[in-house]
Amino acid sequence: MTKTLKPETAEQVLDAIKWAAGEGMPLAVRGQGSKDGFGRAVDIPHCLDLTGLSGIKAYEPSELYMTALAATPVAEIEAALRQNNQQMSFEPPNMGILYGGANGESEGSIGGAIGCNLAGPRRIQAGAARDHFLGFNAVSGRGEVFKSGGTVVKNVTGFDLSKLLAGSFGTLAVMTDVTFKVMPAAEKTRTVLILGADDAGAMVAMAASLGSANEVSAAAHLPEAAAALSGVSYVADAGQAVTAVRVEGPGPSVEHRCRALTALLKEFGEIEELHSENSALLWREIRDVRLFDAIDNQIWRLSVPPAAGANVVASLRSDIGGRVFYDWGGGLIWLSMGTLSDAGHETVRAAVADTGGHATLIRADADVRQRVPVFEPQATVLKDLSARVKQGFDPNGVLNPGRMVEGE
Amino acid sequence: MAEAKANKRVNDDLVEALRGIVGDRLSTTDAVLGHHGRDETYHTPHPPDVVVFPEATEEVSRIVSLCAEREIPVIPFGTGTSLEGHVAALNGGVCIDLTRMNEVIRVNAEDMDVTVQAGVTRKQLNKHLRDTGLFFPVDPGADASLGGMTATRASGTTTVRYGAMRENVLALTVVLADGRIIKTSRRARKSAAGYDLTRLFVGSEGTLGVITEVTLRLYGIPEAISAAICPFPDLASAVNTSIRTIQMGVGVARIELMDEVQMEAINKHSNLDYPLQPTLLFEFHGSEAGVVEQAETVQAIAAEFDASEFRWETKTEDRNRLWQARHDAYYACMALRPGAKGFSTDVCVPISRLTECIIETRRDIDETGLMAPIVGHVGDGNFHVIVVMDFENADEVARAKAFNERLVTRALAMDGTCTGEHGIGHGKIEFLTAEHGEAVSVMRALKMAIDPMNIMNPGKIVRL
Ligand SMILES: Cc1cc2nc3c(=O)[nH]c(=O)nc-3n(C[C@H](O)[C@H](O)[C@H](O)COP(=O)(O)OP(=O)(O)OC[C@H]3O[C@@H](n4cnc5c(N)ncnc54)[C@H](O)[C@@H]3O)c2cc1C
Ligand SMILES: Cc1cc2nc3c(=O)[nH]c(=O)nc-3n(C[C@H](O)[C@H](O)[C@H](O)COP(=O)(O)OP(=O)(O)OC[C@H]3O[C@@H](n4cnc5c(N)ncnc54)[C@H](O)[C@@H]3O)c2cc1C
Repeated sequence: MTKTLKPETAEQVLDAIKWAAGEGMPLAVRGQGSKDGFGRAVDIPHCLDLTGLSGIKAYEPSELYMTALAATPVAEIEAALRQNNQQMSFEPPNMGILYGGANGESEGSIGGAIGCNLAGPRRIQAGAARDHFLGFNAVSGRGEVFKSGGTVVKNVTGFDLSKLLAGSFGTLAVMTDVTFKVMPAAEKTRTVLILGADDAGAMVAMAASLGSANEVSAAAHLPEAAAALSGVSYVADAGQAVTAVRVEGPGPSVEHRCRALTALLKEFGEIEELHSENSALLWREIRDVRLFDAIDNQIWRLSVPPAAGANVVASLRSDIGGRVFYDWGGGLIWLSMGTLSDAGHETVRAAVADTGGHATLIRADADVRQRVPVFEPQATVLKDLSARVKQGFDPNGVLNPGRMVEGE
Repeated sequence: MAEAKANKRVNDDLVEALRGIVGDRLSTTDAVLGHHGRDETYHTPHPPDVVVFPEATEEVSRIVSLCAEREIPVIPFGTGTSLEGHVAALNGGVCIDLTRMNEVIRVNAEDMDVTVQAGVTRKQLNKHLRDTGLFFPVDPGADASLGGMTATRASGTTTVRYGAMRENVLALTVVLADGRIIKTSRRARKSAAGYDLTRLFVGSEGTLGVITEVTLRLYGIPEAISAAICPFPDLASAVNTSIRTIQMGVGVARIELMDEVQMEAINKHSNLDYPLQPTLLFEFHGSEAGVVEQAETVQAIAAEFDASEFRWETKTEDRNRLWQARHDAYYACMALRPGAKGFSTDVCVPISRLTECIIETRRDIDETGLMAPIVGHVGDGNFHVIVVMDFENADEVARAKAFNERLVTRALAMDGTCTGEHGIGHGKIEFLTAEHGEAVSVMRALKMAIDPMNIMNPGKIVRL
């Protein structure tokens, strides 16, 4: 019998978890549900639906932080920030589209974005979600209400529980509200495009841009097939691969840096430049993984050293096929491939392992995500330590058991 | 205060067994034990029973295994510059001094990272990097060990731009409480798969394991650097300038405040002639054009708050002298009162409340009659009051403690924290409870799950 608990207050979250802990009854923790397809597929009959905990609690632009209830839609937060020319610098992706949601505004809750530690193209400059996450109120799997961090940018008050909860996929505690940094949005955005670079050349060009003094805030490479799917005509109509390098900031400085980058990059191919609106669209497409056409393909996310990206892709191309594009200067590879019953996980992981990187199966049918480890399997001692962390927060195993690791 | 959950005591047998691992790199002399059980503050010293000086992760692993079998406390020790009794051996035990683990293992210029043994200090690392065009930015006042900086989650004058240890540690090798060795992530910038175990150890103050190797993120030395000092007519104008700078998102590399008392101290200590006024110290990093643009923006803000002038330090030597003087601020304060020592507070508040907090605190200092300069990483909302006092004088110590309690209460009322960078040790355990309440029991559960016998630096952060 499926039961959905829908608390409206932090106290009701506490009651629900106390009940679950008492009964030994696992709960599927759910924000807006945009990322239900992310993580191991688990069959948990009872759902803790947090959508009743929605709304911005504290936002004063001059304070440079915001506190919001955990299931507040990212779209609502972004809209409030936009009115004040501010932003979340980690650019939380809208995974809803990847998982078959609607097309328009951002889906997903702020709690989910932090719980999955998601970050967009600006990660290489501004860090991941966890780096912008200042504090929270939560209920642990033991049924204790607790808070950590606060509204200041620096504190060293004991163990860094915020960092543990970011990326814990709701397996340690249920956050009821979160506080995160907000920053002034850039006055101007420009994207320098290099046309026609091959993968290896693009990696070198991106490294040169990121290593220069031009404060590049994103660098991506779209092989021809990915570029062709962009809604930005300069990119789609190029008819060849497109490498994109973004600069942001005050107007004169952006123009100056674009000129410097153009001089630096012209040896890699023909140069084009995108202005604010086209830039925004292109980076949204990259952020939200919209540059693949087949909607039912399996999708992997590969983290590798940027310098190794092109080699990893070359070896995968011959072993497994599929299409790719690169973000984070080549350190992040999105791979879309035809459906395999084992998602080719051994081949994919072997290709990445040589570089010291790791692979996450982002999209596949539930039965595949039950058989194949979605996250990179950990070495034994690390696995044991992670299990102890879980034990410390959720000894009865009631929160999202199995979402990250089988049996835990 | 001794830790409640009892540990066993060191005996001769254990000392012999330790000698079997490290040979002569072991000491039980009073001088060495004394040095390892105290810090530079008023906290009561608690010497360990024995100090060992391992040279490799495997040695640390064997030492910890031995202690685990016998339930003996293990206290990791970097350079001992922490300020809240962090290294005090409250229940005795074995101090693991990591200073001989001082090798820079691998500079990875292409991926902009470096792996060091835990005993390498921040200055040693930057000296090593000199010819690579790269640098490591986190710079607490002391020349601390990178292991200790990781364990205390340290920050410094450049945190406003480059972040603290939390943002710059990529991976760790750690010896756990049972002696097993882990690498929190396989290489480089990859966050470990699963829970963020790297950051769990960042700031754990030696209570979860011994950090033996640290992989750190490096940065390219900027194309252009310029520094300036800028005096203000009053404290509020200086702080307001820093707030406005941050709110406008100007990417300053450093923005540090010193009040006029602190200026007098550094002039005396470092033989400088800066004006005796509340002052902001700035540094800008970037391209030539970027630095000019940032400097112009900040000058315009400062002018609105009646700053008299920007004095530029263009030569590298002058710049280095300026920042060395800033780093020596704590010691410089002693020059104000020969024979006295310093006690440093460490609150941090949301940037928008900073002026209010500093001005009220300054009033409190004046009313209490303490000699107490203010210096601050104001871009982060963090500032220190360095109370210069005689640790032997019970009345002065009591007044200083009462002042600190008022300061912490004030900061908490403004949604701030009792410690922005120095940490909890055992000196701030009560404040931690006041600030976080139930989170302390979550931390305790975590500590018990990871170190069930409570042998790792017992009595710090949480009491069991
Ligand atoms: C003059 C002065 C200025 C300072 N300025 C700053 C500042 O600007 N910012 C700031 O953040 N701090 C500052 N501090 C505090 C201090 O320098 C930092 O806390 C520093 O990070 C401590 O490093 P350490 O090597 O001395 O560690 P120690 O004092 O030796 O140890 C600190 C703690 O970490 C643990 N530890 C040490 N090494 C390891 C290891 N390898 N593995 C596990 N645990 C370990 C110890 O057990 C202890 O709990 C200052 C201190 C002084 C005296
Ligand atoms: C060897 C190497 C070298 C690199 N060098 C550089 C460099 O020089 N310069 C540079 O800019 N970048 C470099 N990178 C960084 C790279 O570009 C990415 O920034 C980095 O890999 C991001 O980490 P992540 O993929 O783990 O992302 P995260 O955003 O940290 O992780 C994504 C999410 O998945 C979760 N997750 C992952 N695995 C699991 C699991 N098993 N179970 C549960 N959840 C899981 C995480 O918790 C998180 O929520 C390097 C990366 C590697 C691997």
